[in-house]
Formats: sequence, C-alpha cells, structure tokens
Amino acid sequence: MAKGESPLKQFEIQPIVDINFLGFDISFTNSALWMTITTAFILIFFTVPFLKAKKTNSVSDLYPTRMQVAAELGFNFINSLLADTVGKEGKKYFPLVFTLFMFILFGNLFGMIPYSFTFTSHIIVTLALAMGVFIFVTVLGFVKHGVKFFSFFVIPGLPVYMLPLLIPIEIISYLSRPISLSVRLFANMLAGHTLLKVFAGFVSALGFFGILPLVFIIALTGLEILIAFLQAYVFAILTCLYINDALHLH
Amino acid sequence: MPQLEQVEFFISQLFWLGVFFVILFTVLTYITLPKIRAFLNQRDDFVKSHISKQDELIKKAESIIENYEAKLTEAKNQASQIINDAKDKALKESEGLIKATEEKIQHEIKQTEERVAKEKDTAISELNDQLKDSATNFLSKVTNIEKGNINL
Repeated sequence: MAKGESPLKQFEIQPIVDINFLGFDISFTNSALWMTITTAFILIFFTVPFLKAKKTNSVSDLYPTRMQVAAELGFNFINSLLADTVGKEGKKYFPLVFTLFMFILFGNLFGMIPYSFTFTSHIIVTLALAMGVFIFVTVLGFVKHGVKFFSFFVIPGLPVYMLPLLIPIEIISYLSRPISLSVRLFANMLAGHTLLKVFAGFVSALGFFGILPLVFIIALTGLEILIAFLQAYVFAILTCLYINDALHLH
Repeated sequence: MPQLEQVEFFISQLFWLGVFFVILFTVLTYITLPKIRAFLNQRDDFVKSHISKQDELIKKAESIIENYEAKLTEAKNQASQIINDAKDKALKESEGLIKATEEKIQHEIKQTEERVAKEKDTAISELNDQLKDSATNFLSKVTNIEKGNINL
C-alpha cells in the first residue's frame, strides 16, 4: 500500500472490460473476475475428482483419491448441517445451501490472497444473496402452507391481548432477516480486511519496530481465515434455519 | 466507502453475481452433486454388501467351530474310553500272570518238599539197614553165632 492510501481503497471496484447492455453498465470488473475464479475453482474442485469414477465393484476403485476425500468433506459437511437443522425434508434444498456456502466460503478465502478482491465485502452482493434466500424461503412457506403461513407471526400459547404488540414485532424481525444476514457477512469482511490494511500501514510507518504489527498481522490473517469460514457457515446455517421455519412454521 | 459510493457498479455486480451464481447452482445441481452422491452411494452399497457377506461368513465360521468342538469332545471321550479299556486289560493280564507265577512257585515248593521227604525216608531206611548189618556183624563176632541166625 502506498503512503497516504486509504485502507478502503482495496474495496474499490475497477472495471476490466467495459460492457454496456441496453443502457445498463454491466462491465466485467475485478469483482466479477473473482466471482469467475471462485465459480471455476468450486466447479473444478468438486467435479474433476469424480469425472473418472467408474461403475465397478472392485475395492481399489472405491478407494477415494485425495481430491475425492477433500470434496467429500465439503459434501458431507453441508449434508449433515442440513440434516441436523431441517431433517430429512431438507435434502431437496441441499444444492442451494451447498452453492451458497461454497460460493461465500471461497469468495471469502480467495479474498485473503494479497492483491485479490473480496466480492463478499460488498453490501450489494451480500444483500442480493440474502434477499435471494429471503424471497426463496418466503415463497417456499407460502407454497407449503398457503395462507396458513401468516400464522408464523402468531406465537402459539400467548394471550390474545398481547398479539397486537407481538405480531408487528414478529413481522419486523422476519423482514429484517435479509438485512442482518447480509450486513453480518459484509461487515465482517469489511472490518477484517480494513483492520489488516491499517496494521499493514503501521508496518511501513514504524520502520524497525514495524515487526510488531507484522507479527500481529500474521496472527490476524489466521483469524481472518477462520472468520472467512465462520461467516460462510453462519450464512449457510441461517439459510437452513429459515428453510426449516418455512417448512415447519412453529 | 466504495461499497456505498460506487453506485454505478451496482448493476454490474448484481448481473455478474446472478450469472455466476446461476451457473454454479446449475452445474452443481445437475452434474457435480449427483456424481458425488452416486460415488458415495456406490461405496456405501459396497460396504453394506460386504457387511452382510461378512455376517454370513461369521455364521458359517461359528457353525464350523461348533462342529469342530463337538467332534473334538467325541474324540476325547473315545480316547479316554480306549485308555480305560487298555488299563483294565493290562491290569487283568498282570493279575493273571501274577496268579500263574504264584501257582507255579507253590507247585514247585510242594514238589521239592515231597522229594526232600522221600529222600529223607530212603536215607533213614538205608541207615537202619546199615545199622542192622553192623549190629548183626558185631553180635556174630561176639557171640559166634552165624549171621543168619541172628534176628534183630
């Protein structure tokens, strides 16, 4: 980072290829580039190890390769996550949760590479993902329960005179789901990356004593990688919980 | 903050997010995940079939062990019976032998005793005869009576 550069400069969108479609600016930017890399990586990582899988019954063909074990790990992780929160009915929504988790996870992780770009640090991206989940879950609730879905806002076993107070609260909490979901991810990414950049500025500013913030940055990078995983996990598990709510109401 | 200032790129970001998310979702749903699931299922089936096979083999092994143990106890019983028979036979034989030997010894003792008694008798009668002879001789000499006339 050059001196005097803002720690927020890393979040700037830079167009790589200017594209204009029907008056809309859909330029291919650095954000889009890292989405491409993330998508390509996920597809390669999870598809290629299984391309050669033959239908045989000899034991040696059933030994998973290292790459297959790694891919299975992700598969089983989301599988058990969905089974624990939603149960057997959750299998239908496995691809959605899997895609969300992997997209956010590798978006976060690739963002940790120096000079890369973290597309999950943009509120518009996380909000779009969260709104997608929110709309999907709401539609799912109405499809499954019809008008009965509104009973979701009525907590059972409550005295009637409390309802006028609690129904609006429930509705507000429901509507704020996409905001909390998106802001949580966005703010974590923003804060982590900003903190890293600020301390990176100290390294050059302090001269010899810059070794202290450097050590701190190394530790912080480890923490950020943990947070990258954690936030993807939180996003995925909340999606699972919302799906569970939509399927089972209360 | 670029996230809120660069409004002109919102549509671009949304567009590319949509494009890549849909691509990712579609390929994962229709190609990748079924492949992984098929692979895992194949392995599970293999393991399950082997577990059932294993159960069968264990049952077989157990029956074989039972069979073996039954045969083993039978063989042991037979062996002990044979040993007992042999012991009895040996005991009887040795008893018979001892009896026969004792009888033989007794018999020999008796014979020897009889022979000794006979010899004793003949010896005594001979001695008597000699005594008689010498007494007759002595008397005939003393009395001058002929030997034939002396009757002791």
